[in-house]
Amino acid sequence: MNLYKYASPATFYPLAGKLIPWFAIPAALLFATGLFVGFFIAPTDFQQGDAYRIIFIHVPAAWMGMFLYVLMAIYAGIGWAFNARLSSMMASSLAITGAMFTAISLITGAFWGKPTWGTWWVWDARMTSTLILLFLYIGFISLQAAIDDARRADRAGAVLALVGVINVPIIYFSVQWWNTLHQGATIRLLQKPTIRGSMLAALLIMLAACWLYSVAVVLIRLRCIILEREQNASRFAEVGV
Amino acid sequence: MLRWIVWRDLMLAWRRRADMLSTVFFFVIVVSLFPLGIGPETQLLRTIAPGVVWVAALLASMLSLGRLFANDYQDGTLEQLLLTPQPLFLVVLGKTLAHWIVAELPLVLIAPLVGVQFDLSGETLWILFVSLLVGTPVLSLIGSVGAALTLGLRGGGVLISLLVLPLYIPALIFGAGAVEASVMGTSPSAHLSLLGAFAIVSLLFSPWATAAALRISLE
Amino acid sequence: MNWPDLSMGGYGFYVWGSYIASLIFIVWEVVSLKQRKKALTQQQQSSKAVSAPVLRGSINETTS
Repeated sequence: MNLYKYASPATFYPLAGKLIPWFAIPAALLFATGLFVGFFIAPTDFQQGDAYRIIFIHVPAAWMGMFLYVLMAIYAGIGWAFNARLSSMMASSLAITGAMFTAISLITGAFWGKPTWGTWWVWDARMTSTLILLFLYIGFISLQAAIDDARRADRAGAVLALVGVINVPIIYFSVQWWNTLHQGATIRLLQKPTIRGSMLAALLIMLAACWLYSVAVVLIRLRCIILEREQNASRFAEVGV
Repeated sequence: MLRWIVWRDLMLAWRRRADMLSTVFFFVIVVSLFPLGIGPETQLLRTIAPGVVWVAALLASMLSLGRLFANDYQDGTLEQLLLTPQPLFLVVLGKTLAHWIVAELPLVLIAPLVGVQFDLSGETLWILFVSLLVGTPVLSLIGSVGAALTLGLRGGGVLISLLVLPLYIPALIFGAGAVEASVMGTSPSAHLSLLGAFAIVSLLFSPWATAAALRISLE
Repeated sequence: MNWPDLSMGGYGFYVWGSYIASLIFIVWEVVSLKQRKKALTQQQQSSKAVSAPVLRGSINETTS
């Protein structure tokens, strides 16, 4: 079977369409299962009471934000290096979902911080790095939005994403450094509660649910992007450009 | 070739001296705004000085980045430079060096003067100067990537800021951190070493990224 | 299995707030994508010629 034909957007389009329900429905089921385990089976935490249950959405969202950025950079890089349009379109599609998960992680982090540590926003290393990750996403999305030519947008995005992904460890390190310097008392902020089996299970189920959801949503958006580009192309063809 | 590019850019910048000066004035004004907004209490000012001066330097750099490639792009020189047999890497390095001399070096030189407004000691002013001397090349280098990516786009300065400011954060943390260490009486050497390392890494990688971005923007 | 305390030990606002906020994001993403898809397929319907045979599920099909 020649898989390379799926590198063409037009050929991948129907395949993507068929795949979507295979990810969307299990995603919904896993969300339900994860929340069930998280709320009905996992016990109340000794230190944080029931407030800790926010982690079942906060932690998976944070991880997804990071994974999707790296994935986006990889797809963008492949699209640039091999001149593979579909790969670049995938990167553009991943960006918004990744940014969304990062935003969710910041907001739920704030909701978790207020009852446990007293303030809505805490400048600890993780939250600060997540905020910077959101800025990196916004930069990527803005750059692609500002460029009209699709291929230039793809390639420019690739450069930005690759520069970003290389900088992420440096940024994380510098934020860690900054944070440890400025902490007065050694309070480990937003520390996760001691993980029991059922909590870990709920966490992993929710993470899997987020992954499946991401695949489904990214494929839907990818189809939209394919349609948009194809329409633009045919519009140009009609005019004789 | 490198020398020629640097010299040419310096000459062109000299003919537009006003641009150079406006960057410096912007820097000075922004730094002066903070005490006006926060209050003149000396202890507080001494604490915020490192961050304020560094952030003002970042913002002033952002404003000047648009000029790095825009003028050559508009009159077609940039396309010609891309066609020369010389490696684009060198062209970029030359232009970035010229940009640093024109846009950043004045800030570095005037920073100690501005630092006096915040009642910083002589030792701290020296560290401020050194930190900016080591750190501003990073601003030019990483900034050049942003300038190359956004060539010819509407949205101009704001778009470059969105792209580049997050990438500046390590430089800000180490640079301002060094000055703050000095204010508190501890040694700034660790911060300055990290800043230097970051500068060297930027020097090695940014020109390549900028060259690639230029090719992408000019196709 | 234990029935959870709906007030979450007094932290109800924070726990439910988080989940509702997340839900809003997810719903927004899915709904806006569906709208985008619909607008695109409608556009395609109005501009595509009727003559070419349309393979089921292909990019030219305008009924999904």
